Amino acid sequence: MRHSRAAYPLTWRVMDVLERLAAAVWPSSFQRGLPYLMLLPAVVLVGLLVLGLIQIGDSSLRTLDTSTFMMSENYTLANYQRALSEKFFATVAGRSLVGAVIVTVVTLIFAFPYAYLMVRTPSSALRKFLLVALFLPFFIGQVVRAYGWLIILGNQGMVNEALGLVGVPPMRLLYNYPAVLFGLVQYMLPFAVLMLAPALTAIPAELESAASSLGAGWVRTFRHVVLPLARPGLVGAGLVVVTLSLTDFAIPAILGGGSQDFIANAIYDQFFRTSDQGLGATLSLLLVAVGSILVGVVFMLFGAGTLAMGDERK
Amino acid sequence: MMPNDKILSAQIRRRTLLGSMAAVGASAGLSTLGVSKAFAQEPEKPSEIIVRAWGGSWVDSLKAGVSDSFTKMTGIAVRHDLTEDNEIQPKVWAAVAQGRVPPIHINWDTTTNATKSALRGVTEDLSDLPNLKNTTDLAKPVGLDGYPIVNTYGYVYVLAYRPSAFPNGAPKSWKDLLDPKLKGRIALYNDGIGFHFPAQVAGGGKLEDIPGNMQPAWDFIAKIKEQQPLLGEDPDFTTWFQKGEIDAACTISTNAREARKNGIELAWVVPEEGAKFDTDGLWIPKGLPENELYWAKQYINHALTKEAQQVWLDGLGLPGVVPGLTPPADLVGDPSYPTTEEDFKHLIRISSKVQVENESQWFAKFKEIMQG
Repeated sequence: MRHSRAAYPLTWRVMDVLERLAAAVWPSSFQRGLPYLMLLPAVVLVGLLVLGLIQIGDSSLRTLDTSTFMMSENYTLANYQRALSEKFFATVAGRSLVGAVIVTVVTLIFAFPYAYLMVRTPSSALRKFLLVALFLPFFIGQVVRAYGWLIILGNQGMVNEALGLVGVPPMRLLYNYPAVLFGLVQYMLPFAVLMLAPALTAIPAELESAASSLGAGWVRTFRHVVLPLARPGLVGAGLVVVTLSLTDFAIPAILGGGSQDFIANAIYDQFFRTSDQGLGATLSLLLVAVGSILVGVVFMLFGAGTLAMGDERK
Repeated sequence: MMPNDKILSAQIRRRTLLGSMAAVGASAGLSTLGVSKAFAQEPEKPSEIIVRAWGGSWVDSLKAGVSDSFTKMTGIAVRHDLTEDNEIQPKVWAAVAQGRVPPIHINWDTTTNATKSALRGVTEDLSDLPNLKNTTDLAKPVGLDGYPIVNTYGYVYVLAYRPSAFPNGAPKSWKDLLDPKLKGRIALYNDGIGFHFPAQVAGGGKLEDIPGNMQPAWDFIAKIKEQQPLLGEDPDFTTWFQKGEIDAACTISTNAREARKNGIELAWVVPEEGAKFDTDGLWIPKGLPENELYWAKQYINHALTKEAQQVWLDGLGLPGVVPGLTPPADLVGDPSYPTTEEDFKHLIRISSKVQVENESQWFAKFKEIMQG
């Protein structure tokens, strides 16, 4: 039977050709390899990172010869010995770790009500406002935001000027540890809200209504219903915030006044100030190790949270 | 402190004189650069050369004194790369190690940093620059063969202060920074550069003990730490003075002068313990195409002319390496602009070699104290 042209339009014919072409390039026998093909970009990306780590690992085993400013030919553990024995590095590492934990706790405390309100509010206008307020900081870089705090909190800044109106003399609000933590919390808040919001959205509002109808007050409902069900979001947000805080460079550099270095600042100094790439590489690897261990411990204790994206969440 | 009689005037020797005469003969009627030509044939001109520089008034002065006039004379545009000196260094080192063309033609660098690059062997030799003959000994890097770097001026890490914060008169000693009323109101460089050596004296030690015994310096710096100093880079000092964050700082006089130009009430002194004197210079990384190397050398050669030095260093307020420069009106007789042997007696100079070999340890020790 002869088919009319209208019954089999040109676009279908083009699709047939494309299908045959695809079948020639990727036969059906290759179908089982498709998932692996989709993994290829990730493998390439991770592979490049691993290559970089190998290179850094190699550098970490070489010391700087200050008569030629070349790295030694021989391998040695001297850089690791320095990194683990010198008081300065212990101080900076301790400050970074404690700071990351404080920033994470405070950020989650602030982010939770923000995300909850954004998810639960019946007012679409308020939801839009909260979303815009959430995304706006993403359009402003970290460095610019830090400089913004210099303007606001400086000796001649807005806050001190306002205090001056009520007779309070200018006080040093910047260039100390609390200023660094404050800047980090402000920087991390949007990340935490973004990680928490999907987890809170997944909690049916009816569960809270049911708890309420059974006599639970707001606090009991929050403690026994919302908080446990929000745990995956809290864990995911906590992991993101703790790792970003631990490795941050700009906020401690700008708001710390030079005396509140985190590990990343110490690494910068080794690479760029003293030209000691070996020690810089060593500190980098130790930072990766500490961060990985920290994340591993959280995974073991609380699971991967929203980052698991599988059965573990349920 | 070391005598600087050789620094203060060009040493005109017979060989120098003969060389100069030959150069004059070679350049007769040739050079619009105001310099003699040591190269037989002028290679192809690149469209631009890239000079790494510090920002703010530093690059403005270089542009006004050297780059603009170089472009006017040669037609070659000069692009200023404001990457930090510490950050361009590994990029240049990597480029040379990998046989790539380096990212800049000329590095404007501290002599200490440049010495590291010279020791690593990534610098071109500049001994054939004709205008070197007209410079003082300050232009020659100490402890290195030839001219892998050409020093172009000197500078002093002064004690800059806000006069209103010192109602009883200018500070006389670095120990004045320990006054309780200055707590949280002083600033140093974040690696302590410029402060290690005067701290050695202020702490009761001797300069001759550097680098063997610097405990007096560390003891004094530990006392300064109790004053909660701010620690920063060049631009920070100007900003901090302008924003009222600090009343005193150990900084290069250029930064204090810049703040004063911007209307900030500011003065500076060389305290009785002395102040560190150091130099900056220009150098060329290896790996440039021949023609670009030629024109990069011409740029540095031009930077050593009296005309270029006068304008460039008027902007910076620093003493150059060509005899006969006129100090800016506001710096005549100023201790940050040393011109006489008497001026240099109050300044501390430590050889680049000692600084390069020990700088990492000094920075680490300073950081250990300040971050503790």
